[in-house]
Amino acid sequence: MIWNDHYETMERDRLKQVQSRSLRELVERVYKKVPFYRRKMDEQGVKPSDINQIIDIVKLPFTTKQEMRDVYPFKLLAVDLSDIVEIHTSSGTTGKPVVDAYTLRDIDTWSEVMARTLSMGDVTRQDIVQNAYGYGLFTGGLGVHYGARRIGANVIPISGGNTKRQLMIMQDFRSNVLTCTPSYSLYLAEAALEEGIDFSKLPLRVGFFGAEPWSEGMRKEIEAKLHLKALDIFGLTEIIGPGVAQECMCQDGLHIFEDHFYPEIIDPETERLLPEGEKGELVLTTLTKEGTPVLRYRTRDITYLNYKTCRCGRTSVRMNRILGRTDDMLIIRGVNVFPSQIEEVLLQVEGVEPHYQLLIDRKGQLDSIEIQVEMIEKLFSDEIKMLEKTEKKIENALYSSLGVHSKVKLVEPKSIPRSEGKARRVIDKRQV
Amino acid sequence: MRYQLSIFMENRPGKLEAITKILAQNNINIRGISLASAGEFGVVKIIANESDRAYEVLKKAHFAVSKREIVIALINDTPGSLHDLLKNLSSNNINVEDCYGIVLEEGEKAAIVLEVEKFPEAERVLKANNITVMSDTEI
Repeated sequence: MIWNDHYETMERDRLKQVQSRSLRELVERVYKKVPFYRRKMDEQGVKPSDINQIIDIVKLPFTTKQEMRDVYPFKLLAVDLSDIVEIHTSSGTTGKPVVDAYTLRDIDTWSEVMARTLSMGDVTRQDIVQNAYGYGLFTGGLGVHYGARRIGANVIPISGGNTKRQLMIMQDFRSNVLTCTPSYSLYLAEAALEEGIDFSKLPLRVGFFGAEPWSEGMRKEIEAKLHLKALDIFGLTEIIGPGVAQECMCQDGLHIFEDHFYPEIIDPETERLLPEGEKGELVLTTLTKEGTPVLRYRTRDITYLNYKTCRCGRTSVRMNRILGRTDDMLIIRGVNVFPSQIEEVLLQVEGVEPHYQLLIDRKGQLDSIEIQVEMIEKLFSDEIKMLEKTEKKIENALYSSLGVHSKVKLVEPKSIPRSEGKARRVIDKRQV
Repeated sequence: MRYQLSIFMENRPGKLEAITKILAQNNINIRGISLASAGEFGVVKIIANESDRAYEVLKKAHFAVSKREIVIALINDTPGSLHDLLKNLSSNNINVEDCYGIVLEEGEKAAIVLEVEKFPEAERVLKANNITVMSDTEI
């Protein structure tokens, strides 16, 4: 179901005109109101009058995550602080957080793109949305909340955690839409099994899973265990929160809401624009944002774009699910390895569940990678040699996919810590 | 007919204890135990007086556990007894996958635990050769 026919199925030439106009307005606004952008544009020798068409965007400077932190808390504001009605931040686990400040119109835009997002999973005012994304400074909870409100669905603001209560509410309120991180959805499935709750008997129909990278294999796992259609949701605090891109029921790429967020794919090394279909770093510009507009934000997410019209009828560009992050990328003995690749391989091995952890270490000059995989009943054999075979089988599958040797260690069930938010998959102990 | 439980275990101090603790807390008696390890993990095999309940409590405590049928043969504690037993099995083309034993009464009786592929045949062969096979109630 398409929430906004006008923009979501707009002819691409017409869309470019809309984007060009928004970009001109944006550049003029930030040049005038945000010293940070004015200085950067001056340094690059580009003036607002140089920006006419959307393709002129390549003349503009990039904005990095570090810069977004340096302007903490309010140096990116393009409006008076009194015009801001709500503020969110990133988690800030690695330093000062990134601030996203919204005007009333920004909240309206957010509600609109999130209504489009939920409509991609056919959510209507008849539905009951159990929103297990965290409410608070994190954008996930309130983003979904605003979208569900716009549609008129019944939203249960349960927030993250408290698994027993999640399961109780799910049964008693008959929730049919679930929103949470993919790893938490599996945690819920596990807990349900222990409580003797059968997901096939619950009305859950569709889930919007995101805020951490996940793989196609994990999708199959989630769909089988929770008996619902699992859709990938994408967003980031730096841009608006959730509502930047969303997978439709075709599950063939995530539609970017291009009238609000303009995507480019660049080579992270040379910073050159890459042609359609080539893998590179996603760069996003907020075309319509008022509070904290962002020019050419380097997301560090690796993906590629597809401009073909989707079977669902939407003409908007689709990005592939995130393949990895330029900064998540592990360089093991000179080979680039993404944790998502490892997950993909693990889940292809019969009986392996997505509970794993990667330990990277360096012994002498040599990097080592150990992958801890939880033993489960399906994988278990009372014969030592069969267990050793299983370890070897996983190691071989990993080697043929990654091109680097890794050590697989089988560990006891439930020994890898479960997360109620983003799963911590990689522990890098290398002292470089 | 009786069962042996196999439990996956990381090869670290305190891991075996975690298993025996659960059985003790549930008042389950261990009648036989053996342990095999390969580097960083191992498999502990336990014969318990109540194998079904032992299986359930271990599973509930999140251990990877499996159950299989085994043969417990009683033989004389004399030279050549084990050899006779094994000869009976091998001459019937029955392969022994794992085996351990202990003397019950010095110079009198010993118990041998056998994991075999062909379970009912093994029991039949042993009985036919007048070797005593322990029943559930005897454990």
